[in-house]
Amino acid sequence: MLVSLNWLKELIRLPAGVDEIARRLTMTGCEVEEIRHPGEKLRDIFIGRVLSLEPHPTREGLQVTRVDYGRGQKTCTTAAPNVAVGKLFPYAPPGGVLADGTVLGVRDFDGVLSEGMLLSAEELGIPDVEVEFGLLALPEDAPQGEDCIAWLGLDDVILDLSITPNRGDLLSLVGIARELYGILPGTELLPPEAPALPEGPWPIPFEGITLEDEGCPAYSLGLIRNVRIGPSPVRARVRVSLCGMRPISNVVDATNLAMLFWGQPLHAFDLDRLPARHITVRAARKGETITTLDGKERVLEEEDLLITSGGVAVGLAGVMGGANSEISDDTATVVLEGASFDRVRIGRTSRRMGLHSEAAFRYARGVDRTKALPALAMAMAYMRDFAGGELCGAPLVAGDPREPHRTASLRASTLRTYLMSADMAKASATLERFGFSEVRERREEAARTFAVPASRLDVSIEEDLVEEVARVEGYDTVPARIPPHLYASASLTTLMTALRRLRESAMGRGFVEMITYSFVGPEDLRILRFPEGDRRGNPIAVVNPIAADQSVMRTSLLPGLIKALLRNLRGGFRGPIRMFEQGKVFLRTDDIASSGEEHEEPFYLGGIVFPGRDRRFADDEDFFSVKADVVALCEACAVRPEFVQGEEPFGHKGRTARIRINGKDAGYLLALKPLIGGALDLDAPLYAFEIDLESLVGQVSYQFTEPMRYPAIYRDVSLLVPKGTPAAVVEAEMRRLAGDFLWDVRLFDVYEGEVIPEGYRSLAFSVAYRSAERTLSDEEIEGSHGALRSGLAAGGYALR
Amino acid sequence: MSHVLGQVEDLREQCREALAKIGSLAALQEERVRFLGKKGEITRLLRTLGTLSPEERPLVGSTVNELRDEMEMAFDAAKMRLEVLEAEKEEERGRLDVTLPCRGRGWGSFHPVVQVMHEVIDVFMGLGYSVALGPEIEDDFHNFEALNIPSYHPARDMQDTFYVEGNRLLRTHTSPVQVRSMLRWGAPLRIICPGKVFRRDSDPTHSPMFHQLEGLLVDREVSIADLKGSLEAFAKAMFGPEVKARYRASYFPFTEPSMEMDVSCVACGGKNPSCRICKGSGWLEISGLGMVHPNVLRAGGIDPTVYNGFAWGMGLDRIALLKYDVRDLRFFFDGDVTFLSRGGMR
Repeated sequence: MLVSLNWLKELIRLPAGVDEIARRLTMTGCEVEEIRHPGEKLRDIFIGRVLSLEPHPTREGLQVTRVDYGRGQKTCTTAAPNVAVGKLFPYAPPGGVLADGTVLGVRDFDGVLSEGMLLSAEELGIPDVEVEFGLLALPEDAPQGEDCIAWLGLDDVILDLSITPNRGDLLSLVGIARELYGILPGTELLPPEAPALPEGPWPIPFEGITLEDEGCPAYSLGLIRNVRIGPSPVRARVRVSLCGMRPISNVVDATNLAMLFWGQPLHAFDLDRLPARHITVRAARKGETITTLDGKERVLEEEDLLITSGGVAVGLAGVMGGANSEISDDTATVVLEGASFDRVRIGRTSRRMGLHSEAAFRYARGVDRTKALPALAMAMAYMRDFAGGELCGAPLVAGDPREPHRTASLRASTLRTYLMSADMAKASATLERFGFSEVRERREEAARTFAVPASRLDVSIEEDLVEEVARVEGYDTVPARIPPHLYASASLTTLMTALRRLRESAMGRGFVEMITYSFVGPEDLRILRFPEGDRRGNPIAVVNPIAADQSVMRTSLLPGLIKALLRNLRGGFRGPIRMFEQGKVFLRTDDIASSGEEHEEPFYLGGIVFPGRDRRFADDEDFFSVKADVVALCEACAVRPEFVQGEEPFGHKGRTARIRINGKDAGYLLALKPLIGGALDLDAPLYAFEIDLESLVGQVSYQFTEPMRYPAIYRDVSLLVPKGTPAAVVEAEMRRLAGDFLWDVRLFDVYEGEVIPEGYRSLAFSVAYRSAERTLSDEEIEGSHGALRSGLAAGGYALR
Repeated sequence: MSHVLGQVEDLREQCREALAKIGSLAALQEERVRFLGKKGEITRLLRTLGTLSPEERPLVGSTVNELRDEMEMAFDAAKMRLEVLEAEKEEERGRLDVTLPCRGRGWGSFHPVVQVMHEVIDVFMGLGYSVALGPEIEDDFHNFEALNIPSYHPARDMQDTFYVEGNRLLRTHTSPVQVRSMLRWGAPLRIICPGKVFRRDSDPTHSPMFHQLEGLLVDREVSIADLKGSLEAFAKAMFGPEVKARYRASYFPFTEPSMEMDVSCVACGGKNPSCRICKGSGWLEISGLGMVHPNVLRAGGIDPTVYNGFAWGMGLDRIALLKYDVRDLRFFFDGDVTFLSRGGMR
């Protein structure tokens, strides 16, 4: 919202400087985003009259003028087609400065010395104000010789305010004036210039207004005859332009100025284009259409409010007028609508259609009913002044143009709770400056009731009054204290505890912590070749994504990590890369009926390891180095994982492990499928793992047993095992066979080679026997170990 | 006698000279045999004792024995010295270029936003706030309706929402966790809700995904003073004890009164009118806050005539931008290892 300080000064006496005004506005909730000085660079520009005009002796198209600008006469040249003797134009003598900073001097045009310049709107920095090509024509009654910058209003200061959605009342000059009066001591409100409304009956037949929907509680129409459509006077155009709107025509500018002033949107119909001399406001019928004045056909819903005439839609209420009845160049009779509409309905319509007109913007934020008639009066007076319109007859009013009376109460105890102090007298004084009036009949010292001003649609409950008092007093005056009454010690949650342990451990093992986007592209998932029926291949789609590569919710952390890896490799990174991320993935629920949820979003831990291209470290990373990472991360959460040969659609056929925790599948560890790695131009194997954090969270804490006092005795076993038999299976078998004294089994060598038969490998284990009660005797050890060896032999293993 | 004593002196001198020249353990052994061996100089000298008178023998004998002991000590000392020298020569041959890069993994690195999140959590945990978490795919009720933002509300324009299939949305703030927590635990309540949030926005200061931390305290007779106390403790812990806070009135549908907290610029302290960080204003917007709107308490099943409370929300990414002096929010989510590892270098 752009506010002209010059215009504002017609409503309030402001002793403070603009910086102080801006500071107070910002601190009390109406943020000043910018203070603009539109005529900042302009210097020495006067209202000049063209005394004489003759063609340049040699240059075609150039005219030589003599200009009287009040402080003397100068000669200057111009090529503008609209220059004429006796007319007034802005004139800058040598030394004058234009909006773009150009300093004017004396120029020689083939022997004619041109002193300064006659100026166009663009050169004054207000291109929107231009209505004809050439110089900015000033009206005959402009004071010749006076300062043109001030006369046009370019000495103004414009405040760019960010108005919060609750304060529709501040989308108007009168609202801003009232707000300033409330927040700035020493200011004084001036009564707004209020042109009287015309009286009497309309001199033309008009059947009236029918309100058929409670979404329109009040509707007024003013009549203006014999308007001549054309541009507004130049100063009105400047004002419209400085307030951020485009000057259109005298009738439209009149409605816009009145809206800027009162905050009340107005709409002008061409009476002669209305299908009937009657207006009905009703709800739209589903599927009904209207072509709005931007030329677009809109399909309507029942929640939309429609202005109709003779059964034909002529306006989408509160949002935009219809193309069929809009003002055109030959409009002669205007009927001007000043209406009140339900903010919710207008808000819904405007949002649904994405049509955020100035009117809809204001209605959705609340326009109180009392503004319609003063705004009509102002716009009608402008139409009389700008367009020669004839005001005849009092506006027709349907419904009740008064705002219902509302009150709100404030207790000293509430004030004391919120602010730690309660000065009720001061609170009353503050509220009264905002236009609240105390209802004295019901007065109690510690609980006061206030009539809420009609414009303050945002105020209804006690907390709203607390805010009014507090924002003027300033929140900085409220003391700060640590909240008392702690009822329990704070909890980090088991999930957050696990997240912390895992990230510290991962970083300690060389992983870089990542955050990748929770949405990915369908293509990123397709790379992983999820088969039909794998829910990871059927992601939840974003309905309105920003980009195609962020259009579905991730079902795995891997695509994001691979994307990041590729970005680094393309950027020329050559070293080893270890990345991990902890975050949610989004999966469709397998069985909606039983869970009642359509999706689940488990927290995953994911990591990738890429060995890099440095030869010195080429052998440092392999499947088992990454397996060590996974084990370490699980152990950091007091969990011991198991690994079994497994499958993933994107995993190397022979190098994919399922991670099992407490007997449940918890994720995968794998080397990426070489075909996929090749397609991604990876020149080394990529290792990846993902674990559902649920299996790591909240596990039992670490446990300790007493240290063993008696020594362990070690025996080695080396055996031939078919290649397809996992070492873990052999180890489990050994643990089963070795008896009660077994303390540990540890694989220390794996060998395949010449002395080993085809299809076999040799596994060498170190077996430890130990007792907590005594040093084991040789007989006991040999007994156990003998049983183990014979058991293995009986089980078909060849002992070496 | 004096003749033998003179030989003892000569021998001592010879031995001293010999030891001074020895450069290896082998040479040392040779010299040791020459002086102390069975056929060595000392033995030879002892043999001459027989030529002396019985009165002279004890004195000369003990002198020679002293010399022998002396020599043995000297040879032992020389041996130790030479052994150390030889070992060090071996070490010298095994010299490494210690400036070669390390093998294997160094420390990885933290992500600035995650780091900040955990630091902020710790500050508020110290003030008694427990962590609460909630879903990232939300429904309209928890994200908007329950927070006093009905569908027609213009405040919906403040947050451009991502929708997903099934008429659900990606939460636009962490505030839905407030409602879920109130419904689950009731009052009194003191929680923080960190997590990812999503808005349809992308430029240097906006990312379609970012991180917030929401706080909520519900109790009897809660004051704005409690809110200020909590947030100022946070600001000092995060930005240093010198940091100043100010509060501007503002508007959020879910709080009344509402305000925004600024902290004095962490870069210039408000002293540099052309500061890049605060754009010369001296202040940085850090949090939106306010007293929980009675409608929100009601939606959370809490009686607003008995309880009241406050809530705040802050952008963790923005705090990370400030703390680590990063210019563009989107750098955080590109996964550039060189950028992210800088945290590990400092």
